Amino acid sequence: MSRRWYAITTVVLALAVGACGKGSDDGGDSSGGVKTGPGTTADTITLGYLPDLSGVFAPNGKSMMEGAKLYWDAKNEAGGICGRKVELKTQDTGYDPQKAVAAYQQISGDVVGLGLVLGSSITSALLPSVKQEDMFLNFAGWTSDILPNENVAIAGTTYDIEAINAIDFLMREHGLKAGGTVGHLYFEGDYGENALQGSKYAADKHDLKIVEQKITPADTDMTGAVAAFRRAGVKAILFSAAPPQAASLAGVATSQKLDVPIVANGPGWTPQLLTTPAAGALAKRYYVVSSMAPLNDESEGVQKFLAAYEQAYPKGTPSSNGSLYAYAGAQIADAALTKACENKDLTRKGVLDALHSLTALDTGGTIAGKLDFSDPSQPPSRLVYTARVRKDAPGGLAVIGEPGTSDDAESYQFGGS
Amino acid sequence: MSRAPRAAVAVGVVVVVAALPLYLESFWLQTALFSMGAIVAAIGLTLLVGIAGQLSLAHAFFVAVGAYGYAFLAGTEAAGEDGPAGLGLPPLLALVGAVALAGVAGALFSPISGRVRGIYLGLASLGLVFLGQHVLQNATSVTGGYEGVAVEPFGLAGFGFSDSDPDLTIFDVPYGRLERLWYLGAVLVALAVWYGRNLVRSRPGRALATVRDGEIAAAVHGIDVVRYKAAAFTVSSMYAGLGGVLTALAFGRIVPESFGFLLSIDFLVMVVIGGAGSVGGAAAGAVFVTALPLVLNHYSGSLPLLAEPGGGGIGASEASRFVYGAAIVAVLLFARDGLSGLVRRSQSREVKESLI
Repeated sequence: MSRRWYAITTVVLALAVGACGKGSDDGGDSSGGVKTGPGTTADTITLGYLPDLSGVFAPNGKSMMEGAKLYWDAKNEAGGICGRKVELKTQDTGYDPQKAVAAYQQISGDVVGLGLVLGSSITSALLPSVKQEDMFLNFAGWTSDILPNENVAIAGTTYDIEAINAIDFLMREHGLKAGGTVGHLYFEGDYGENALQGSKYAADKHDLKIVEQKITPADTDMTGAVAAFRRAGVKAILFSAAPPQAASLAGVATSQKLDVPIVANGPGWTPQLLTTPAAGALAKRYYVVSSMAPLNDESEGVQKFLAAYEQAYPKGTPSSNGSLYAYAGAQIADAALTKACENKDLTRKGVLDALHSLTALDTGGTIAGKLDFSDPSQPPSRLVYTARVRKDAPGGLAVIGEPGTSDDAESYQFGGS
Repeated sequence: MSRAPRAAVAVGVVVVVAALPLYLESFWLQTALFSMGAIVAAIGLTLLVGIAGQLSLAHAFFVAVGAYGYAFLAGTEAAGEDGPAGLGLPPLLALVGAVALAGVAGALFSPISGRVRGIYLGLASLGLVFLGQHVLQNATSVTGGYEGVAVEPFGLAGFGFSDSDPDLTIFDVPYGRLERLWYLGAVLVALAVWYGRNLVRSRPGRALATVRDGEIAAAVHGIDVVRYKAAAFTVSSMYAGLGGVLTALAFGRIVPESFGFLLSIDFLVMVVIGGAGSVGGAAAGAVFVTALPLVLNHYSGSLPLLAEPGGGGIGASEASRFVYGAAIVAVLLFARDGLSGLVRRSQSREVKESLI
């Protein structure tokens, strides 16, 4: 008999003797009269964060984590949620569904819910597990395709509602009239196509013609799109793509004398655009319609965020859909957890139920409108902020008026078609 | 080694593999399952690139055909909020069907692969990946578009490879989807390795190697070059399809982003790192490429020098990219024939030293 024999026998025996290496203890405990479950104990609450820190959205992901840290650090300093400290378990997804699923498996046992998940395809990949484990999921995206969904919380309204309000804004303020033509430049995929549903709906209502230009995130030269818009004689352009395309679109449109307003969805803006050569063109004609507040908004919540941000990150650049979004997402999670604690039930199901019992959550203005999470088939709000680019405003955007919504947006029905 | 200990080694390996799900946390099981899917598909590519000498960048496409093929064939017949409708076939039949589908896709492409060589074939096959992405995004009635499609759990003779159906607890460890899939994955990997090795050593394998080294010489020896090249492409695609099915089962829900151009590159890297043409090397390369980023991410909190996710400095994901890149460069520099060549040379050195 060889030595190998003994070695193997030893390993096998060791494995057999030490069986039940991992057990399960998901049982509902109770501490201080409050039922706890995975991710919650007598003195901590753990939230999972799955941002993209190394993929295509890494700059935005890092900005988001700044906002989240800002909120929870302040919260913990003020005593936490019903005496419990909030801890974050953060895992990078790299905007890769495979990494995201592995990262989720790693943290899912230790968290009560997901404080932030970036990317619709990643959210789609995680949903079967999230649903089964009754977690809530703060979705860092605004597509109505995800609805109806019991587990997902959207911060504000969706891209289609934004686009409907964008058309309304153009008709009110920029002389767009029935029978006119509007160009819509949008990304292939959930974000752009969701916005297109909205613009088509509004166009139908007001007898407008939509000229579609579908692009992918890899396209960065908008010369072709601008030429097509010029040929069609568009009176305005809706924009549902990313900042690199925005810089090209505004620059090329100016050089080609296509002198029309451009209205973008929230993700179409980042303050960094002001450092590009297109800054002048953008300041002249670029508008943003979004549920996230422009940072020069006077509301209490936004000012509080801005003051805290400038103190914590003096060299950073705050952004509406980066740091402010994660800050606002934390406000939603905070409200749900606080409510769950009042209900003496900090289990995952308890937190999910608490979220759906929020009917008028006031974020102090970081998200447009009061948020109503009671109906999983609707976004929690239909209000949007409208803003224009201004170089000296924090975050580069200056708010126009109060948050509002059009009659078309109010009567719009969700459901894809 | 004599016969008895050799059998004992085999038994030992089987017992260890069978016992591992009792110990491994779900993260490790998930990582292992992704690796297993990659192993099966990478073996297919190493046969094609290393043995038959055809460079293919379309592997991600065939993996997608397998994954989406299974999801469609096994999917429930009614379209619901989980995604589009499927054919509702029994899972085993769907698995075989998906592999066959990938094989057919490969066979359809083989007239091109038979005519075009080397880097030109690589570019020609690259088109398939982009074509595939476009179809996956837009053929929403089958693929669900960007929202993806839910993958029906595997099942065999009434036993479901899911979290319940029936509930199963062994040594106090509840056996969920991942634990059960581990065994399916292990069996499929074993079959893939066994078949791949036999193919390399068999008559068709030698014929393919002859085609690779010189088509005219091969033809002179009576080898039907066109037919063998087509067969190699088909077999490789079937491997990719099987790897795709396993990957789909490991995900639970598949989205187009998982099967893009980068995956094709990853497969090529697996094969090169492992040593083109070596089945064991491809398996090692697959584990290396698939698991390294996930594992580095996993230990990001405890590794020195690496920043916590969300903090400043170099994070785990950046670090894993650096290590990944460095590993490829190191292998190309110091072990032209990959990990398998490294192992082979160190063995032959031992033999030489023992002779002295």
